[in-house]
Amino acid sequence: MSNPNFRRRDFLRGSLVAAAMVPFGGALASCATGGGGGEEPAPQTGGGEVSAENPFGVAEGSTVDAVIFNGGYGVDYVEFAAGVMGAGPTGVTPEVSPSTAIATELQPRFAGGNPPDLIDNSGAQQIGFNTILDQLEDLTDVIDAPNYEGTTIRDTLYEGVLAPGTFGDKLAAINYVLTVYGVWYSSSLFEENGWSVPTTWDEALELGAQAKEQGKYLFVWGREAATYYQTMAIESAIMQGGDEVRLALENLEPDCWSKQAVQDVFAKMEQAVSEGYFAPGGAGTQFTVAQAQWSNEQLALLYPSGAWIENEMKDQTAEGFEMMGFPGLVVDPATAQMADALHSTAGEPYIVPSQAANVAGGKELLRAMLSQEAATNFAQQKLAPTIVQGTVPEDGFGSTALVSQTQMLANASSVFTYNFVSTYGMNQDQLVVWNSFLDGSIDAAQLTSDLQGITDAVREDDSVEKIEVS
Amino acid sequence: MTLVQTQAGPGGAPAPAGRPRSWFTRNRRNLTFGRISFFAVFLGVPLAIYAVLVLSPFIQAVQISFTNWGGFSRDFEYIGFRNYAQIFTNDAFLTALRNNIILVIVLPLVTLVLSLALASIVTVGGASNGEVKGLRGSSFYRVISFFPYVVPAIVIGLIWGMVYNPRGGLVNGFLTTLGFSAFESFPWLGDPRTAMGATIFVIVWSMVGFYMVLFIAAIRGVDPSIFEAARLDGAGRFRTAVTITIPLIRDNVQTAWIYLGILALDAFVYMRALNPQGGPDRATWVMSQELFDTAFVANKWGLASAMGVVLALVTLAFAALVFLVNRLTGAEKEGGYQ
Repeated sequence: MSNPNFRRRDFLRGSLVAAAMVPFGGALASCATGGGGGEEPAPQTGGGEVSAENPFGVAEGSTVDAVIFNGGYGVDYVEFAAGVMGAGPTGVTPEVSPSTAIATELQPRFAGGNPPDLIDNSGAQQIGFNTILDQLEDLTDVIDAPNYEGTTIRDTLYEGVLAPGTFGDKLAAINYVLTVYGVWYSSSLFEENGWSVPTTWDEALELGAQAKEQGKYLFVWGREAATYYQTMAIESAIMQGGDEVRLALENLEPDCWSKQAVQDVFAKMEQAVSEGYFAPGGAGTQFTVAQAQWSNEQLALLYPSGAWIENEMKDQTAEGFEMMGFPGLVVDPATAQMADALHSTAGEPYIVPSQAANVAGGKELLRAMLSQEAATNFAQQKLAPTIVQGTVPEDGFGSTALVSQTQMLANASSVFTYNFVSTYGMNQDQLVVWNSFLDGSIDAAQLTSDLQGITDAVREDDSVEKIEVS
Repeated sequence: MTLVQTQAGPGGAPAPAGRPRSWFTRNRRNLTFGRISFFAVFLGVPLAIYAVLVLSPFIQAVQISFTNWGGFSRDFEYIGFRNYAQIFTNDAFLTALRNNIILVIVLPLVTLVLSLALASIVTVGGASNGEVKGLRGSSFYRVISFFPYVVPAIVIGLIWGMVYNPRGGLVNGFLTTLGFSAFESFPWLGDPRTAMGATIFVIVWSMVGFYMVLFIAAIRGVDPSIFEAARLDGAGRFRTAVTITIPLIRDNVQTAWIYLGILALDAFVYMRALNPQGGPDRATWVMSQELFDTAFVANKWGLASAMGVVLALVTLAFAALVFLVNRLTGAEKEGGYQ
């Protein structure tokens, strides 16, 4: 190979090196990590005139760019609100775009400094709030503005619904949908068999024995949703042991999973597993398939979930199922601290980035969504209540589950929620443990130590900012 | 490829013997407008596109891997090798690395053995008298086994997810019909002992057809008289496959091995479709899933980039290993491309 020809390989090598050097020059400067620039402070108002009809001063003729998570609730309810807003005097055009992967899709826009005006930051791929908190508008002025009917929005909301969107003293997100957590069942099936709804774990286990006689199971689970049983266990433990249990878990305390109230619940669950009250094979079953075994085949009696379950399984629910829910099971009603409490929180966090082109427009669309008209439309279409009160009639638009939710809210002596699982992103690790526990390959002691290990790892990780809960 | 080396001047005139013209004079004559524009269009443009769309992200990923960038702002600090240190103390990543290594060993081996066997049967494994040819109806088998490759990976994953479904899935339905009542609701993808095996089976199933077609093309390129000669010398089908076919198409085997290795080191789509949360005890959790979660769920883009760099290095090391093994087992030296 010693001929003096112009050699193709050398030419290629040379061009490659030259090409590789290019990005170090100008190209890199324009890329995501290329450095600062473009961070002008957002204007206080949208440039339009501030009035009672236009509290944020949206510029006339401007457009609002809204990116909405296209999940269980779809995006049509935002389009409806956009219609409500378009009917107003501002002459603003909202553009609603659906997205199923919020973080993936919007990451380049955040990094590039041109995020949308309104985002429904929801779904499995939501953007972690600790990542973007300082880039978000404080939405207190939305809550203090009058709604489209003239009442201050703050006065129209259910109690405590702003808590999940409040970080420190900043209202960074308004969570639109009120979610009631509970255990769901077919009231027609229960009636048919003369079963009564259990309130304690012992009654539930008794029911499991009766179900088994009919070849049914008490519970069913799917691999991606095994931690629904963790939710159920935590609810039970809090109802039994009170706020002390909730705070220990929220603040990642050492041995928080070993609290007596938690251990009592785990012991009952372990018994349910070993008696075979869980339909086998859940660890290998896709979760909606598992849920259909409950809602359609009626192979299992109970399913713990959020109230979205009715909408999620709408097409796969047996005729005449008549879904109802109850808040949860306690171990011992005599010593239970908060037996009448309910796990409920607001979901679907709506955020307005400060760098957005039309901040006022984003807030205005949010105000339109919080109007009676748009909120009632949501409840009717999605069979779930929003954070706006008084939008669900007596008959629940014909949905037993929706009636059941409003009853649970009305009967609750207090409402609680917890956030540590999502705040610190622990669900992925916990799923592994719960799948093993529910299929019987580990016992309650191992479950406890594995969950504690996950909690301890987060507590000891200095790079994770902790949020003190009280 | 030594044929090209004989010195032939432009226009076929023989180069003056003993006094090779200098590179410069030779080349100046060649730098016509047509030649330059040819270079510009066919080399310059693709190279520029390649540099902007492929190389610069690579380089930027390396840069980001030394930062703590969160992905959603322009703020970041350089933190040296801390991301890399963190990767190798992260249990989830190490489990993923282990699973990828299992995949990279098992997947190419099984796929290639199966597809080579099928290719041999279809091309030279037919009747043992007369012309050397494949099994009767071989074109039918070829179409059948290529079929899975036409279906997108995500669809394959979802279909097999249903096939493996513990209750009402095809596999368990079949086994219980045969009388194995223990499989009534056996979670193939939910048991740590079977999850990886079941997943590898799906990937092999989807890939065998493609590599079979590749090897058929390679075997067709071999002079049939060699197979005839082997048969006259008394070689059976297995012997022919091992000592004639494989050595003659070893370059194709090497290429296939590298492709499959890269697939095994990625495997994202299959894993995500079959066991989105990583399987029981993370039995099927792979590096690309850990990377995806680190970037899009945990928003640690610096760390995710470091994982990407590690993944790229592992892939390169694998390719180098395959070349080395091929060389050591006696492949001819690389051809004399100029």
